[in-house]
Amino acid sequence: MLKMTHLAKVYRTEVVETYALRDFNIDVKEGEFVAVTGPSGSGKTTFLTIAGLLETFSGGEYHLDGIEVSNLNDNARSKIRNEKIGFIFQAFNLIPDLNVFDNIEVPLRYRGMKAAERKQRIMDSLERVGLASRAKHYPAELSGGQQQRVAIARALAGSPRLLLADEPTGNLDTQMARSVLELLEDIHREGATIVMVTHDPELAARAQRNVHIIDGQVVDLSEDPRFHAVHAEHTGTNA
Amino acid sequence: MSMQIKPILAALHRHKAGTVLIALQIALTLAIVCNAMFIIQQRLAHLSEPTGVDEANLLVISNHWASQMSPQQTDAQIRADLTALRQLPSVRDASPSDGYPLSGGNWDNFIMRTPDQLTPTTDASVYMGDEHMLDTLGVKLVAGRNFNAAEVMQMAPRQVVIPPVVIVTQALADHLFPDGSALGKPIYSMSATPSTIIGIVERLQRQGVTTWNKPYAYESLLWPLRQDGSYYIVRAKPGQLADAMREAPKALYAQSRMRIIDSKDGGSYPQIRERAYDSDRGMAILMGIISVVLLAITAAGIVGLTSFWVGQRRKQIGVRRALGATRGDILNYFLTENLLIGIGGVLFGAVLAIGINLWMVTQFEMARLSLAYVAVGVVALLLLGQGAVLGPALRASHVSPVEATRSV
Amino acid sequence: MFAYYLQLGFRSLRRNPVLTALMVMAIGFGVAASMITYSVFRAVSGNPIPNKSVQLYTPQIDGWGPQQNVKGEPAAALSYTDAMALMRAHQASRQTLLYGVNMSMLPGGSHSLPVAVNGYAVYGDFFPMFEVPFLYGSGWSAADDNGRAAAVVLSEEFNQKLFDGANSVGREITLDGHDYRIVGVARHWDPKPRFFALFNRSGFQDPTDLYLPFTRALDMQVSPTSNSCRGHLNFLGWDDWLRSNCVWATSWVELDSTAEVARYRKFLEDYAKDQQRAGRFAWTPNVRLRDVMQWLDYQKVVPPESRISLIVSLGFFAICLINTIGLLLAKFLRRAGEIGVRRALGASRGEIYAQYLIEAATVGLAGGVLGLLLTAVGISGVSLLFRPEIAHLAQLDFSLVGLTLLVAVFATMAAAFYPAWRAAQVQPAWQLKSN
Repeated sequence: MLKMTHLAKVYRTEVVETYALRDFNIDVKEGEFVAVTGPSGSGKTTFLTIAGLLETFSGGEYHLDGIEVSNLNDNARSKIRNEKIGFIFQAFNLIPDLNVFDNIEVPLRYRGMKAAERKQRIMDSLERVGLASRAKHYPAELSGGQQQRVAIARALAGSPRLLLADEPTGNLDTQMARSVLELLEDIHREGATIVMVTHDPELAARAQRNVHIIDGQVVDLSEDPRFHAVHAEHTGTNA
Repeated sequence: MSMQIKPILAALHRHKAGTVLIALQIALTLAIVCNAMFIIQQRLAHLSEPTGVDEANLLVISNHWASQMSPQQTDAQIRADLTALRQLPSVRDASPSDGYPLSGGNWDNFIMRTPDQLTPTTDASVYMGDEHMLDTLGVKLVAGRNFNAAEVMQMAPRQVVIPPVVIVTQALADHLFPDGSALGKPIYSMSATPSTIIGIVERLQRQGVTTWNKPYAYESLLWPLRQDGSYYIVRAKPGQLADAMREAPKALYAQSRMRIIDSKDGGSYPQIRERAYDSDRGMAILMGIISVVLLAITAAGIVGLTSFWVGQRRKQIGVRRALGATRGDILNYFLTENLLIGIGGVLFGAVLAIGINLWMVTQFEMARLSLAYVAVGVVALLLLGQGAVLGPALRASHVSPVEATRSV
Repeated sequence: MFAYYLQLGFRSLRRNPVLTALMVMAIGFGVAASMITYSVFRAVSGNPIPNKSVQLYTPQIDGWGPQQNVKGEPAAALSYTDAMALMRAHQASRQTLLYGVNMSMLPGGSHSLPVAVNGYAVYGDFFPMFEVPFLYGSGWSAADDNGRAAAVVLSEEFNQKLFDGANSVGREITLDGHDYRIVGVARHWDPKPRFFALFNRSGFQDPTDLYLPFTRALDMQVSPTSNSCRGHLNFLGWDDWLRSNCVWATSWVELDSTAEVARYRKFLEDYAKDQQRAGRFAWTPNVRLRDVMQWLDYQKVVPPESRISLIVSLGFFAICLINTIGLLLAKFLRRAGEIGVRRALGASRGEIYAQYLIEAATVGLAGGVLGLLLTAVGISGVSLLFRPEIAHLAQLDFSLVGLTLLVAVFATMAAAFYPAWRAAQVQPAWQLKSN
């Protein structure tokens, strides 16, 4: 589903060259729930923006759902984002002027969907996240957890092939975070492919597989004793 | 202060669009407001020109005969009318006339110094009245004498009578005889018959004041002629104009009702002035409205755009404050930034103002813009800009240093 | 998507009330000023007789010579001698002479108070040439011209005043003490500017009351309202004056093809040459033949005030639009975060561009509505700014309303080209990173 080989992302200023990602390789299969972890500045957010076609990359290859994306123009990339990818951001990023219904509608509008079909999908999505009664409310009237669930509904409404989440529980208290995470697990069980970026090891433990990034490269932590311990604990609860 | 200017300019370079927009607005506003103010001044000067007559007490009555009378009958009727008018208690004097200052142009003749001269020396507005005319108009005789009753001749329609004597205005005398020797000299007004100048009045404005008349401003002549009675000019006794305006038409109708007094021609001088100068007044009003609104809009635009910039740079301002900048430093920064943009704008605007005026000079026969207007405009617009930016700049200076730590 | 963008646009108007209000006011004032001055300009500069303006010509003949004419141009009217010579030669299919008259009338017979009436002394051909419509009756014939008939045609308005709008054909009125028989009542006809009678007049005068035969008027010695002379004035009566070089008669001819125009022009030159040979003119032929629009242009019928005010208003509008560009920039870029989200959710740059262009159009529409209100107010007050005869020509008709709204919307969209482009350039990635 999401396959990057020897991917590189370079930021060039007049004086200095910074490699955000170098020789980056990752292969996420369909139906996997992968957590991408790493310290601040490791490049995990860069990875996510490139994965979501929000940014271009400097070298290597990126195959998304079988399509090689390096040479696509802006219009093509926008279309793929719209149809194949669902985003869940840390700061929810709902549009404050629009109510819940209209917020979820945004990606569907860009797909050119008919009004009846849009309405159907939006209501289904809201049911899925348990917020059907709040369709006419505005983001300011909802709690953090509710806003994030609306964001998830927005991401789901278009039936994306891939869900990309960036610290989805970062702005939530423990209780809300738990419910959001349970929602994500439910969605995964239904067959979605989820790639979640987080620096929280507990969150990462709930995923199927972890990928660790340090200094723009994937690192195999199987040698790291700390990783083993966490992994062992995790497999225990998962069984 | 100069140390601050370079980084400010560099920062503006990164906000090219907004800088250009504000500078362009200031430039165009300066160009238009300068020209508008100039046009206002020109028009107001035009409509304040003095006629030279006793405007406070004058009444002009337009009179058209409705019955078919012979020239003798008409003349007798005119003399009867004048007697009746002069006998009114509120009236000081009355005179017949073919026109009046600011009427819009009824009668003007070319003036030559010799009888066989083809190209005229000048053109004069022609006033035909009797020996009461000078006193009726209230013009001041500065040389020579008035007409006497015996000199007043009668002129039938389509008949040309050139009286042997004429009174001219000082302006006409100076144009014809720059050496000052006008008195006693003959002039030829589209005729081989001379008219000798027997008197010079200080000032009597022409009947027409449009652009065509400008080269001949204040050049008029008076002839002792009673023609077929187009106007009666009536001078009321001081403070009795209202009474005269009521009594005079009544007295005339009492003499004969076979006449038409046109209410849209003549009247009191306030009415005459309003009619004569309404397009000048209108132009001045329009330019005034546009200038005021334009300045308001430019100020509002500066406020809007600068507020936006301040909002965009909250974090940067917070960082500066955290690093030790005082409120005054921040305020200064934005005022200076605005001043720099303003200077660029007014420089371009001054060039535009002069350019627009030069174009108008060729297209619309306007006068050249005096640089004083441009200078005042430059100062005014720079002040306007500073005033407009004061609000957002003050808000910027109140941004707390803690903004440095906040992420957007 | 257009409806969606329109919806978003109207919603955004409410969002930033101060900024939106500023923009709406700037556009409103700019549009209003331009439309008010344009409506006046349109009224004074249009073609007053579009279906015949290329067939009607007015000849001018220089009867004064190079030292006395109007800066090299022949006078704007003809002398009696030249005018009658043109009529007698009959070198055009239809032709007329005319001059303006002011007469007195006794509306209620010999014991009523006289009133002033204004009109034109014309030939019978005047009515078909200028396609004057008739309510009752008709004009008079060439025979009536030759026979110096005492006929008169009233205007609809004058007929309304005198006879309450009834069919007055056959009745008589007394003008300057002589009786004239009404042969026709013209339906409302007042082309603006009054192109056919521009000699010493602005073209925007009071409505005409009546038309009478040129020949009869001269017989009755009805003076023209204006005349202009050169050289020595030494006439001692009507006939003397007729024979002088004073000009006061305007000639109009109808010429239906370019060949006819060329032939008439040659005829004018030949006539002037004859006069030179005969010793009446001491100069080479100096003649002109102008059609309606050329005549309006030469006579500078458009008052400079209306031109200047239109130009200044357009400059004002331009500044308002530049102002709007800046404010739109601020309004759009303030929502860079939202733009980033929409881009992330799949909006292409083109879609963002379209959205913000349409949003600008809604601002333009609001500005246009305000502009319309201001225009309506301004047009009712425009008599403060222009001479009354011209002021009341400014009308708020449907075409002006439509034009106002269209101009407002499209001008604001044009102002939005750059700001919308900047909005579309907002990168999705950058906005997310700052979170």
